[in-house]
Amino acid sequence: MTQHTKEEVLLQATDVQLTFDRSILRDINFCIRNITRPGVLQGQVVTLIGRSGIGKTQLFKILSGLQSPTSGQVTINNNKPVKAGDMGVIFQNYYLFEWRTVHQSLMLAAKKNKALFGREKQTIEQYAEQFQLTGHLNLYPQQLSGGQRQRVSIMQQLLKGSNFILLDEPFSGLDVCMLDKAVEMLLQVSLSDELKTLIIVSHDIENSVAISDTVYILGNEPGKEGATIKKEIDLIERDLAWQKHIKQERRFMETIEEIKACL
Amino acid sequence: MKKIFQPFATVNKQTVMTMVAVQVVITLLLWHTMSAGLIPKPAKVASAFVQLLGSKLLLDNILVSLLLTLKAMLYSILITLLFAYLSVLPFFRSVALFIVKCRYLTLTGLIFIFTLLTKDGSELKLSLLVFGIVPFFVTSFLSVIVNINPQEYELCKTLGYNNWQTLYEVIIIGKADQVFEILRQNFAISWLMITMVEGLSMSEGGIGTLLIKYNKYNDLTNVLALQLVIFVIGLCFDYLLGTMRHWLFPYSKLKEVKAS
Ligand SMILES: Nc1ncnc2c1ncn2[C@@H]1O[C@H](COP(=O)(O)OP(=O)(O)OP(=O)(O)O)[C@@H](O)[C@H]1O
Ligand SMILES: [Mg+2]
Repeated sequence: MTQHTKEEVLLQATDVQLTFDRSILRDINFCIRNITRPGVLQGQVVTLIGRSGIGKTQLFKILSGLQSPTSGQVTINNNKPVKAGDMGVIFQNYYLFEWRTVHQSLMLAAKKNKALFGREKQTIEQYAEQFQLTGHLNLYPQQLSGGQRQRVSIMQQLLKGSNFILLDEPFSGLDVCMLDKAVEMLLQVSLSDELKTLIIVSHDIENSVAISDTVYILGNEPGKEGATIKKEIDLIERDLAWQKHIKQERRFMETIEEIKACL
Repeated sequence: MKKIFQPFATVNKQTVMTMVAVQVVITLLLWHTMSAGLIPKPAKVASAFVQLLGSKLLLDNILVSLLLTLKAMLYSILITLLFAYLSVLPFFRSVALFIVKCRYLTLTGLIFIFTLLTKDGSELKLSLLVFGIVPFFVTSFLSVIVNINPQEYELCKTLGYNNWQTLYEVIIIGKADQVFEILRQNFAISWLMITMVEGLSMSEGGIGTLLIKYNKYNDLTNVLALQLVIFVIGLCFDYLLGTMRHWLFPYSKLKEVKAS
């Protein structure tokens, strides 16, 4: 097992319930701790997996403070209740302001990031280069393809510089090249700061688990209405985390099979 | 040819032109054959139209009316924006909703009150117009606000905007192009009201006054010719406001695929 310690609590969900006309989420309890490794700047990456319609997007809304739960609470950084704006959230459909050009949209986010002060423009150009959008900075969202929109949306939330970044389906709609780039980018982000915490919802289990340290599986239990976290897999314990070529290894594939069987 | 009767079929520009031309000709033919007695034939109206266009009388009156309409629309849109923006504050929400309901009031019943409140004819006309237009503008703008995609607000929240910044970004900046659309859609209403309002205070002239005069002498040919003028001006404005919107807010116009 890679040497590491789990330190202070970064995010804590306590007894979160969400009910519309029926129960959607119930008894959600988990806690994400700051993972430190000697000699390495290491953030946290959590993958959240579940069937379509199970409540992943709703859980994201609650975690990010956009939606208050029916009961229970989510706290970050020493028991402060989370509020909208604390986290970067990339939603499934990549909404952008239709009246802003790509560059303006990115600038709005960069302006919110105090760490970028004075370097907003360069940083945007740098990101655009990495995501192959340099030629598209002056276009409006309507003029972008679905995958380009998605990348702009990801860039926008990364530029904002929150420590918590929630990504709802960040890999759908990306071609093989872009997918590798996006995975690489997320890894970089997670390594950029000790406190960076990424929570990824994805149906692309292999790719998201490969860069994660923890997996949560959201599912129903027999006889109970509403989904909850059915299983938590600590990938560090299984020695599957933080390894570049993990995807080819047998143990990794076995874990993937285990996850799939659980859905 | 079959295409023009297929749902959602796209037809090329040339076909559209021919189609419209044919439709116009049919309408004119129908008009020509059906009109008898007092109703003038299209040719007669056309010659009156040409004659009118050449006359200084028309030009002067159009200018008067246009100026009044534009002034009224300017005031109206300012008032509308104020109330529409404020409508997101609970205190002003009810006021805005009340203005919307004012569409049901008829101006005719309020003329006397307005006469008491204003000091001369032009002021009376202007205030009546503004009073008549604002409810329609506010109605349009509120429906724009109501139909805002909730994700626009969510994106603002994730960017850490407070409520005032959200108001600024989503409603003031984000819906600025809609202002032109509202002007465009409601120009017809202001244009409709001007003829009525101008009948109240005839001293300054205007298209409405002209129309009333012709009507009084049963000069149906000139009434129809004048209608044609009003119609054409309306179309011009429609086009002008549409173009201005696309020019000022490029995102309001989807780029079309170039057809060879
Ligand atoms: N406004 C709402 N009112 C009632 N039920 C809702 C509402 N929004 C979502 N739901 C229900 O909540 C459940 C969870 O929805 P959610 O969008 O979180 O699914 P998801 O896990 O993200 O699915 P997917 O992978 O397809 O995106 C769904 O069954 C949906 O029917
Ligand atoms: Mg979802």
